[in-house]
Amino acid sequence: MLKIDKLEGGYGSVQILNGVSLAVARGQMVALLGGNGTGKSTLLKAISGLIKPWRGSISFDGERIDGLRPDLIVRRGLVQVTQGKEAYPALTVEENLRLGAHVRKDRAGVRRTLERVYEYFPILADKRRQHSATLSGGQLQMLCIGRGMMSEPKMMLLDEPSAALAPQVVLDIFRIIARICREGMTLLLVEQNVRMALLLAEYGYVIRDGVVHIEGPADRLISDDNVRLSYLGGTVADRDAAMNLRQ
Amino acid sequence: MQYFLDLLIVGLSIGMVYALVALGISFIYSGLDIVHFAHGEIYMIGAFIGVMLFKYTGMSYPVLLVASMILTGLIGVAIERIFYRRLTRAGGGYTVAGMGMIICGFGMSIVLQNVAYLIWGAKPLPFPVSFGMPLELTDALVLPRSYVWIVGVALVLMVALHLFLKHTRLGLAVRAVAANKEIAYLMGINVPLMISVLFGIGCALAAAAGVLVGPINYVQVLMGIGILIKAFAAAVVGGFGNLPGAVLGGLLVGITESLGAGYLSGSYKDIYAFILLIVVLMVRPAGILGVSVKAKA
Repeated sequence: MLKIDKLEGGYGSVQILNGVSLAVARGQMVALLGGNGTGKSTLLKAISGLIKPWRGSISFDGERIDGLRPDLIVRRGLVQVTQGKEAYPALTVEENLRLGAHVRKDRAGVRRTLERVYEYFPILADKRRQHSATLSGGQLQMLCIGRGMMSEPKMMLLDEPSAALAPQVVLDIFRIIARICREGMTLLLVEQNVRMALLLAEYGYVIRDGVVHIEGPADRLISDDNVRLSYLGGTVADRDAAMNLRQ
Repeated sequence: MQYFLDLLIVGLSIGMVYALVALGISFIYSGLDIVHFAHGEIYMIGAFIGVMLFKYTGMSYPVLLVASMILTGLIGVAIERIFYRRLTRAGGGYTVAGMGMIICGFGMSIVLQNVAYLIWGAKPLPFPVSFGMPLELTDALVLPRSYVWIVGVALVLMVALHLFLKHTRLGLAVRAVAANKEIAYLMGINVPLMISVLFGIGCALAAAAGVLVGPINYVQVLMGIGILIKAFAAAVVGGFGNLPGAVLGGLLVGITESLGAGYLSGSYKDIYAFILLIVVLMVRPAGILGVSVKAKA
């Protein structure tokens, strides 16, 4: 479904991505993990078209999409679900959702999808006329996921859906993501919450310094020391070195 | 009382004209962060296009008003695409960084004045639309129909803009682009196109003001300078970037000016708007409807 090959890119003259390759199959949920400043957000921007990659390729559904304008990528069915803080605060909940359906012209279909989103997130239906600035962090994240569903995409990129949320709320959000996946959606889940992401996803990539550092089936990664250590900014070698120092 | 009502009607009409221009300036600023200093010239070009259409095509007044709005809007779109958008690259393609835009706006203002001078000459042109007999509201209160047109058309345009922004798919997209261009892109909105739509609407509003003023004034090359300053005062009084504020500010400036000229002294007519501006800014530095946190369109 999505295939990224040796992607390089960055901002201005600063290179952030140093040749990332990854693939997501249809109907699969894949986790993309990595700490702050590893290139996750840059990679997402490159996939969504917000920045143009320098080298390498991105193909979606069998066609190259690298270098396309972001709105054309959305039209092809690849949607980025932003973090909750990226909802439009001055617009109402329903206006935010309708924006998600901007690429669709069938009014009846949009209304049906809207009802479906409200069925997923009853709290949004209750607050449909309120400005989204009045929502809590978890509700904002639900709004952004719902907004992503509105265009009925073929694949969703989830940008840290658990960021800055209370543990109980994180569980709710992941339950919804699992449901979306069960219903046939292809998902690339970008997360800092490693454990949760690997429990849900089938396959995982750990990105570090702009390259894929470790990859593998999620159940294997979850017990891998390297994965855990990548998050603390070290490697197994570092750990061993530290152990030696202590002795 | 009679005198007061007369002044109020004149103030309201000219205030509506200021409001339309201020609305365009505020709309463009709220959406694109461009403080458009050439907006007075857009107004002037709109008026000239109106006169030309009147002279050479014999269109009826409402038709030529709409035609001038569309043509001027397209000219605005071309100006923005060709000149202003290059400057936004420094701000990542979305916003304007630094003084470049302000200088470019002033430069554009001078260029447009001279282009208009080359095409239409320095002599003021009459815009002899006949609106028919004045309306007699009471025995003493007589209302020239041109004023009715100004107030009526301005109100229709303001309501239309409001409905467009609040209740259409395209209007929602324009608001999204105004608030955050990157997220708007992720919604599948064609952001460059919406920027053109936004700028075109701002220019079309100025053109409408020009065509409305034409019949009660002459149309001339330098007519944009005075209105720009008044419209800026109006936009700032209402709260820069705030659309209802621009309308309110325009009306306040128009009425202040008219009452000041009527009761105090006509020769200081242009000062009253700025006294109002200074007083408002002393009491509410962000303007009457402005908020310190920038709330956009």
